[in-house]
Amino acid sequence: MEYVSPEGLRIDGRRPMEMRKLQAEIGVVAKADGSAVFEMGNTKVIAAVYGPREVQNRSQQLNDQALVRCEYSMANFSTGDRMRKPKGDRRSTEISLVIRQTMEACILTQLMPRSQIDIYVQVLQADGGTRSACINAATLALADAGIPMRDFVTSCSAGYLNSTPLLDLNYVEDSAGGPDVTIGILPKLDKVTLLQVPSDRIICQAFFMS
Amino acid sequence: MNGLSLGEKLFVQGGIAQDLRSDGRKRLTYRPIYVETGVIPQANGSARVRMGGTDVIASVKAEIGRPSPLQPNKGKVSIYVDCSPTAAPVFEGRGAEELSTELSVALQRCLLGGKSGAGAGIDLSSLIVVEGKVCWDLYIDGLVVSSDGNLLDALGAAIKAALSNTGIPRVHVAAEASGEDQPELDISDEEFLQFDTSEVPVIVTLTKVGRHYIVDATLDEESEMSSALSVSINRKGLICGLTKRGGAGLDPSVVLDMISVAKHVSEQLTDRLDSEISAAEAVEEE
Amino acid sequence: MAGGASATAPSTYSPSPNQKKKPPLFKDGDLDWVRPDGREFHQCRPAFFRTGAVNAAAGSAYAEFGNTKVIVSVFGPRESKKAMMYSDMGRLNCNVSYTTFATAVRGQVLDQKESSSMLHKALEGAIRLETFPKTTVDVFALVLESGGSDLPVVISCASLALADAGIMLYDLVTAVSVSCLGPNLVIDPISEEESYQDGSLMITCMPSRYEVTQLTITGEWSSARINEAMQLCLDACSKLGKVMRSCLKEAASASEES
Repeated sequence: MEYVSPEGLRIDGRRPMEMRKLQAEIGVVAKADGSAVFEMGNTKVIAAVYGPREVQNRSQQLNDQALVRCEYSMANFSTGDRMRKPKGDRRSTEISLVIRQTMEACILTQLMPRSQIDIYVQVLQADGGTRSACINAATLALADAGIPMRDFVTSCSAGYLNSTPLLDLNYVEDSAGGPDVTIGILPKLDKVTLLQVPSDRIICQAFFMS
Repeated sequence: MNGLSLGEKLFVQGGIAQDLRSDGRKRLTYRPIYVETGVIPQANGSARVRMGGTDVIASVKAEIGRPSPLQPNKGKVSIYVDCSPTAAPVFEGRGAEELSTELSVALQRCLLGGKSGAGAGIDLSSLIVVEGKVCWDLYIDGLVVSSDGNLLDALGAAIKAALSNTGIPRVHVAAEASGEDQPELDISDEEFLQFDTSEVPVIVTLTKVGRHYIVDATLDEESEMSSALSVSINRKGLICGLTKRGGAGLDPSVVLDMISVAKHVSEQLTDRLDSEISAAEAVEEE
Repeated sequence: MAGGASATAPSTYSPSPNQKKKPPLFKDGDLDWVRPDGREFHQCRPAFFRTGAVNAAAGSAYAEFGNTKVIVSVFGPRESKKAMMYSDMGRLNCNVSYTTFATAVRGQVLDQKESSSMLHKALEGAIRLETFPKTTVDVFALVLESGGSDLPVVISCASLALADAGIMLYDLVTAVSVSCLGPNLVIDPISEEESYQDGSLMITCMPSRYEVTQLTITGEWSSARINEAMQLCLDACSKLGKVMRSCLKEAASASEES
């Protein structure tokens, strides 16, 4: 299948190096300490941050830093086919872990010992790049909650199809089976905090960031 | 679940007794309702409803299915509600299961009518394509994104808005299959059938705090409730469903009084919701 | 309501609903139509209760309303699970399950979660939870045979089992449902009637306090109709309460004698 036309346009009309339309809003959940909606094209996620607050489960308390927790969930209507998966399947557990580790690395956890920060990410619509969108939304929500951070984490995915490197894959491109990579960077510090390559795909040379 | 101090509790109760609630409303006033339709493009219909700090999304997805052999001339509708942990940390993991089931059951009871289909807000026979063989299965999903009380009314409103936003593709039956075979179908992606949602009831929850009842309770007010009655009422003023929450018993005469108050409130709510929905549809079409 | 006498009619096998044609008399509003089991519209099935059905439980009760047979056992109050937070009120844990042979079609899945939460909501208002802080009372209901109006029978039977277990109650909880079939209100419907009903109304109440603990309505109702149905149910509830009370008294006097 042709993912890039001879004129150099992708299925949704973008250029290979073009991102989808980004849109964000903070303060969307009234009761949360910080919250944000982040949209990348048709992908739409909402993140809410509760904390820093008292550790709920004492045995998890850390005496020298804050405990960061994350839960990722997908709405039933988020995908094309309606799905009804039980909560906490392997994929969402894995993504929860990825988000938690990425955010933990940029939060100044040592400033808030013996406390807990909860990050909840809810996917409203999935159209490729949910990982990146979740991380971006979580960053915004953390900033909205006023939690001290080293830097923002920004994340984006890239792939390689039809011998062309493509930025910010949508669902069709993502499921085409080409190599793809999700990276998260701290732009001010110019450091990479997240680099993920699915094990079954061969990475070539796709390293392009927004 | 909602840690109010004694002073705050008395403040909430006292305000309700004096018909001036903490946010300046009267006992039977709703918070402003905002409706947005078509928020989930992948669904057949969707809507987002906000009432103060409560924010819910409803989506309608239609899939081709087989009618149940007991009711060959009817489609199927199922309603599921999910509470996102973004709304409250207690919904993490399996924490939301109990509330989700309760809300789903209450919505099914309020919107889908009795066994024979009387009082149903959705005309199930309009979902049939080939009698006994092919029908549309409607999956209605509700998601609570942010919660500040009165979830049931908000979900009911969101489902009503989502249904009026729903377009079911027109199906052409290519060849009439005989016997047991499934007929061939041609699902149009241009022609859509619109739902008639004027019969879909609205849900009014009356929360009893002290000796008075209030509509559209916030989370703080709900924590002070002794019991609550959710009544779903259609445009004709007929009661299509009723559920009670909260353990405290009610005198039968109080129940009847609450029903008549709910009926009165529902008239205003139906009108307001209808105008909000049509306004939202107009915005979407632009 | 026929008194505490046990159901004498032989329990015939009830035909599955889809084989039976809806009686045409409905539409004419002909009041001579007889119910499948020969009752009048406003006549309940004979109720039979017996306490102490399960020896291992703290309290238990068995109820039989026509073909509906239910057994409820109550355990506790016992220590709440460690994971639960401290509570100065007792907790109530309810579970309703069906035997695989309860329905005409084997293993037909009925929404047990819903029934469980309904049972919980109906009972919680009647139990003096503050009398057993930090502990949990478990109520397990098993529907042996489902013959219609299962949930009301389960609720009434559960309150009897709670009383048998010596849990402090404000009052017994009795439950009765009515079905709306065309123009008629039919009390205590059996499965066949339930499958044709246009609407149903179920009340659970505490008869001597005259308080409604739970009320559910489905279908389309006018206010006047609701009023009528509620009066009907409340009246039946208070009579059912007397039957349950006499059953408890009988059990108490029997244990004194022995």
